[in-house]
Amino acid sequence: MLAVEATDVSKTFGTVRAVDDITVRVAQGEVYGVLGPNGAGKTTFLRMLFGLIRPDHGTIRVFGRTWEHDDVAVLDGVAGFIESPKFYPYLTGRQNLEGLVLLDGGVRPGLLEEVIELVDLGDRVDLEVGGYSYGMRQRLGVAASLLREPRLLVLDEPANGLDPAGIRDMRALVKRLAASGLTVLLSSHHMDEVEEICDNVTIMTRGRVAFHGSITDLRAMAPAPGYDLRTDADDRALLVAADHPRVQVDLRDDLGLVVTATETDAAAYVADLCARGIALRALVPTRTPLEALFFMLTDEPETDDRAHPDGGAAGRPAGATTGAR
Amino acid sequence: MSTTTPTVAVTTPPAVRPGLGGVVRWETRKLRHQKRAWAVLLGALLGPVPVVMVIGAQSRPPKDSLFGRFATENGFALALLVLGFASQWVLPLLTAIVAGDIFASEDQHGTWKTVLTRSTGRGLLFWAKTLVAGAFAVLVLVVLAASTIAAALLIVGHQPVIGLSGQTVPSASALALVSASWATVLAPTLGFTALAILLSVWSRNPAVGIAAPVVVAMVMQLVGSLGGIEGLRPFLLTTSFESWHGLLTAPRFTGPLVEGVVVCGVWVVVSLTVAYVLLRRRDITGG
Ligand SMILES: Nc1ncnc2c1ncn2[C@@H]1O[C@H](COP(=O)(O)OP(=O)(O)O)[C@@H](O)[C@H]1O
Ligand SMILES: [Mg+2]
Repeated sequence: MLAVEATDVSKTFGTVRAVDDITVRVAQGEVYGVLGPNGAGKTTFLRMLFGLIRPDHGTIRVFGRTWEHDDVAVLDGVAGFIESPKFYPYLTGRQNLEGLVLLDGGVRPGLLEEVIELVDLGDRVDLEVGGYSYGMRQRLGVAASLLREPRLLVLDEPANGLDPAGIRDMRALVKRLAASGLTVLLSSHHMDEVEEICDNVTIMTRGRVAFHGSITDLRAMAPAPGYDLRTDADDRALLVAADHPRVQVDLRDDLGLVVTATETDAAAYVADLCARGIALRALVPTRTPLEALFFMLTDEPETDDRAHPDGGAAGRPAGATTGAR
Repeated sequence: MSTTTPTVAVTTPPAVRPGLGGVVRWETRKLRHQKRAWAVLLGALLGPVPVVMVIGAQSRPPKDSLFGRFATENGFALALLVLGFASQWVLPLLTAIVAGDIFASEDQHGTWKTVLTRSTGRGLLFWAKTLVAGAFAVLVLVVLAASTIAAALLIVGHQPVIGLSGQTVPSASALALVSASWATVLAPTLGFTALAILLSVWSRNPAVGIAAPVVVAMVMQLVGSLGGIEGLRPFLLTTSFESWHGLLTAPRFTGPLVEGVVVCGVWVVVSLTVAYVLLRRRDITGG
């Protein structure tokens, strides 16, 4: 039995087709990623899984159960959160958790303390949630999910809004949970996150599935990495590229050149530029091969994601600037 | 996060399902932590005291109001005068402060997704919230009635009172009649509770859930007092706020009381049914 089996699922909001006929299968015990740029329909899909919104079309089975036949029993053994977890601000973290236990029909003795310990909230669990930072709320969200002792953990962009240390902790936690046999379904708009922790992935764009398969399959499809290149004579550098057939160079108006090539080929090209007296101003790796593939599959403009404010740069290639004259 | 290994079970979890009791406890617990719920109860408990003192100390009684003529010298009459006043908008407001908020505050805090991803279905949550809002309405009415009657009798006195037909009602039966009169407004108060629930589910906005029932009460009173549309009168929630008048006439008549209970019952059933359907069907996209 699959943990999640979503078949031909669609959801339209007004004129926006948020989820357009997608099929997703998650086997038990795997870590599955739903990857896509903002607005791809990831959250809408996960909301449908939780029964928060009803699909216009298609069926979603969770451990073989459907909302039509089993109502809230679909969520037996399922936990997680959608977007940023929300709690009652006038209650403490602990009071929130205790309340959710009532909605779960009870909890194994001692588990409450265990999960509070696990997410490292410490004494702050006895403060009102209204004063929590984003990261603390995220931890409380994880605690609230683990209280259900789930078989399937659904996390919607769990690293979103966390600082680099928070992202690292969150990834480490997901990996540990996965190692204990839990099925994890997580969404993300960062290829590196999915690459790091997932076994299989569905890439979504504008509501549709652009790719699904294993990370290994995905890697095999990946193109060469990309670099931003600036020289003192971009038009001449472009001409030099004609002598390097395995290097692709494109001119971006005013923004310099974009080089797509393997590390070795790119190095040879750059050495050639220098030999011909073209001065290098900057050479910046912009994307890993998988990221480049992600952008190709989702045809996102490559520039906007780097400008994303939510700590999205963590774990990416450092923006090392190689200046030479 | 700590480095201890999580002990989450990967075995099939026991399919525990919460009962209505557990969910009611949760809703009650949240209510107990809300200052406004306490403020309402405190207001219902202490508010009548200054009101009774001020009216009792008037040199000229408010003759134009029902039981106003004797209100400055008779505690029973004063308790009934306050009842008439409370029915205008105070009771709809007091009940709506909780009932108009109990659903919409989940929208306000974005917590629908939090509670609906547990083992509690929408139906169970709906009934738990409705029960708690209803119980709170009963509690507020009891506190307000007890406080008003006690304050009026202690401050102004408990002499026999003149009924609506000019008959003298002895003190002993007056207490029972005044208490019964206060009890009769439970039906319309619960009607407004259900209406506040509906408006709160529909608008997803606590301000609307709280204010709209008060506005509706005022509009209903206005409509009830207009000429030419008397046919509507019996179907208004506000009409049954007056059905106790029959208890203080001689002979007594209880026709409007029964009618009022039926009308309020219909309002409750219709409001709750529509609210239930809205809540079951809606997409939770916020939070
Ligand atoms: N409640 C809603 N009303 C209208 N449009 C919505 C609503 N929720 C989502 N959408 C639209 O559906 C698309 C998918 O959104 P979402 O599922 O949130 O994407 P993601 O989680 O991948 O960023 C977006 O275009 C978004 O604007
Ligand atoms: Mg999203």
